[in-house]
Amino acid sequence: MRSIMTQRFRWFPVMAILLLLGASPALAAIQGVTGTTFNLTAKADHISTPDGNSILIWGYALNNGRMQYPGPTLILNQGDTISITLTNNLPPGAGNVSILAPGQSGGTATGGVQGLITREAPPGGSVTYTFVAAQPGTYAYYSGTRPELQVEMGLVGAIIVRPAGFNETSNKIAYGHPESRYDDEFLFLLSEMDPNIHEFVEAGLMNMIDNTKYWPVYWFINGRAAPDTMLDANVPFLPTQPYNCLPTTHPGERLLMRIVNASRDLHPYHTHGNHHKVIALDGRLLESAPGAGPDLAYAAFTTSVPPGGTADGIFYWIAKAGWDIYGTDNGHDCVDADGDDLDDATHEYCPDHGKPFPVNLPHKNDTTFGAFWGGSPFLGTAEPLPPGEGGFNPNGAYFFMWHSHSEKELTNFDIFPGGMLTMMFVEPLSAPLVNP
Amino acid sequence: MRKKILQIILIIIIAVFCLAGVSSAAEFWLRAGTFIKTMPDGVQVPMWGFARCTANFASCGALRVPGPPLIVPPGDNSLTIHLRNNLVGPYTEPVSLVIPGQAMPTDGIASSPAPVKVPDANGNLRVRSLVHETLVGSDGVYVWNPLKPGTYMYESGTHQAVQVQMGLYGPLKRDAAPGQAYSGIPFDREVVLFFSEIDPALHNAVVTDNYGPGKSMTSTMYYEPKYFLINGQPYSSATSAIPAGNAGQRVLIRFLNAGLESRVPVMDRHYMSVLAEDGNLFAHPKEQYAPLLAAGKTLDAMITPQAQGTYAVYDRMLGLTNAAASPGGMLAFLRIATAPAGAASHGQR
Repeated sequence: MRSIMTQRFRWFPVMAILLLLGASPALAAIQGVTGTTFNLTAKADHISTPDGNSILIWGYALNNGRMQYPGPTLILNQGDTISITLTNNLPPGAGNVSILAPGQSGGTATGGVQGLITREAPPGGSVTYTFVAAQPGTYAYYSGTRPELQVEMGLVGAIIVRPAGFNETSNKIAYGHPESRYDDEFLFLLSEMDPNIHEFVEAGLMNMIDNTKYWPVYWFINGRAAPDTMLDANVPFLPTQPYNCLPTTHPGERLLMRIVNASRDLHPYHTHGNHHKVIALDGRLLESAPGAGPDLAYAAFTTSVPPGGTADGIFYWIAKAGWDIYGTDNGHDCVDADGDDLDDATHEYCPDHGKPFPVNLPHKNDTTFGAFWGGSPFLGTAEPLPPGEGGFNPNGAYFFMWHSHSEKELTNFDIFPGGMLTMMFVEPLSAPLVNP
Repeated sequence: MRKKILQIILIIIIAVFCLAGVSSAAEFWLRAGTFIKTMPDGVQVPMWGFARCTANFASCGALRVPGPPLIVPPGDNSLTIHLRNNLVGPYTEPVSLVIPGQAMPTDGIASSPAPVKVPDANGNLRVRSLVHETLVGSDGVYVWNPLKPGTYMYESGTHQAVQVQMGLYGPLKRDAAPGQAYSGIPFDREVVLFFSEIDPALHNAVVTDNYGPGKSMTSTMYYEPKYFLINGQPYSSATSAIPAGNAGQRVLIRFLNAGLESRVPVMDRHYMSVLAEDGNLFAHPKEQYAPLLAAGKTLDAMITPQAQGTYAVYDRMLGLTNAAASPGGMLAFLRIATAPAGAASHGQR
């Protein structure tokens, strides 16, 4: 376990070092594909789990590329008419396959064959779905064919609809209202897996599958189980799991959490560090009247999204740590002209300005370290550590675990830590955010 | 003469309506009994269920799961249910009635309801029933006064871990006013979608007296439902679509879940305006396509279908098999007809 973790984490500092060297910093944005016409192919492939397992998956591939878990995140613009053609390249015996996009309006399906819920692509065949991305928001898509098997097998994905007026640099809004604005956005597509089902499928023993004995032992965010969630996106050794989940933010910024529950169980998703404000469910702002804005939003430190549904949360972090998070010996100011108790530029919490760190840290020789400890309790400060310690937090960020609060879901087939878990980094303002 | 008769009839009608307004007491007769329910795969499951009877149990309908819908008229602010316990052995129990979300019922004599406690093997008193019991072979009376409007589930209040999942549950509604589920919530059409589950192993153990401490099945610890029902039936090729009004109508869906597990009803291509939970109206509806229907709860949701068609409703927690066989389970269809020409349409928000 340790060696696997170490090996996998090697990519994390590579990314961080690139950042330090001044490689072009990307915005913190969600990876996906944009457009109005998509060709997806359902096919089989394998994913890796951090305990070394390799699991057969049925997933959606972009065009005829490699299958990915979850399927490509479709990033659409409000008002566009969307066409998705699905081709069924699943192995013989898998049967038909389809796509449901709940929450989208004006949906029609053409081609293929009629299934129980929607039209389906038969083996080797295709079906085309059209709908209008009428309303902005976060949505799910998943197979509507034998869903208890095909959703489990991995035929799931997320849809993001950008509102009219959205601009990636000058008007980052989740919905058509300024109160849905954000600085950074991250996808949290939650899923789980019972590998027995996948093994039966792989062995050609479909008749052994019993939906009523479902017993998941893996839990994923964006198709990866921890600690792989924190690796860079598109690492070459996870070719079928391109998406990561490494939320980063700066003090005082608005981090948009797009939570999609692609699985069949509830996963109480918990944000350490602060509450998040749930502004929308299932792609609809929580508002008292159309256009009112999210006046019915509520603060939660844990959000359980019903399976198939979505929630959008705004997370916002400022330090009320009880000490000056930037340290007391570097001469920085806390200037609060607008009276919100925060420095107008850095969002430092001014009532704590100049307060010393409340305890004497023990000597390094008397301390054990975690991989994320940068050597200092002050934001943006890194201090030397003994050889082999730390290294995953080069900018001196504050970091918080964001995870399922069903604690058994923090495992990979009974091994802790893992599963539905990642770390959220509050980076100093001097560090640009890089994700994916 | 003719005019006089008409006047008398009118007076009688008015008097009846006035009486209905003030007398305000709905009264039902329910019989609890044992019956066999056949699943689509031929498996026969022993159930406990309710049957609706005419006044004073003069005649009773068939036992069913869920139990017969009890519709309390808007003008009736109290409810009396006469319960007859006709469970048959080898194993039987006293039964009772509660309505979660309403006050505990009285027996119509005592001023306040009281739980029933029985001594366990160590002599400690343990609650067996939330309210007074009706013993096998006898009749009991359960009175709710007042009865709040809304969508509710009635169920046994005795040995609930066993009796509810054995099938002793049913839907109950009282509208706030004619055509209004809650004050200010009018609807044109309503559909009840009642979710529940069956674990045949538990049922067989209970009816053969093999359930309980020291017996072959000691508790519901290993409860593992095999059948997932909507309105008492899992999906099969025999399932037919439920008529649910016309395009443009306000269609109220009353969701109830008597199962021990939560469910997420998704209606294909429709948002639901979730209005109420457990019979309590929200200040503002929630627009959702995947609402959580927690175990033991009720939800009221309004849809306004825009186009005629047959739309699937399915459990997104994926109780979609009959035992291991697919398809099956909690999959139903609502059939929306074309709006008649010239019909008033309530546009969708």
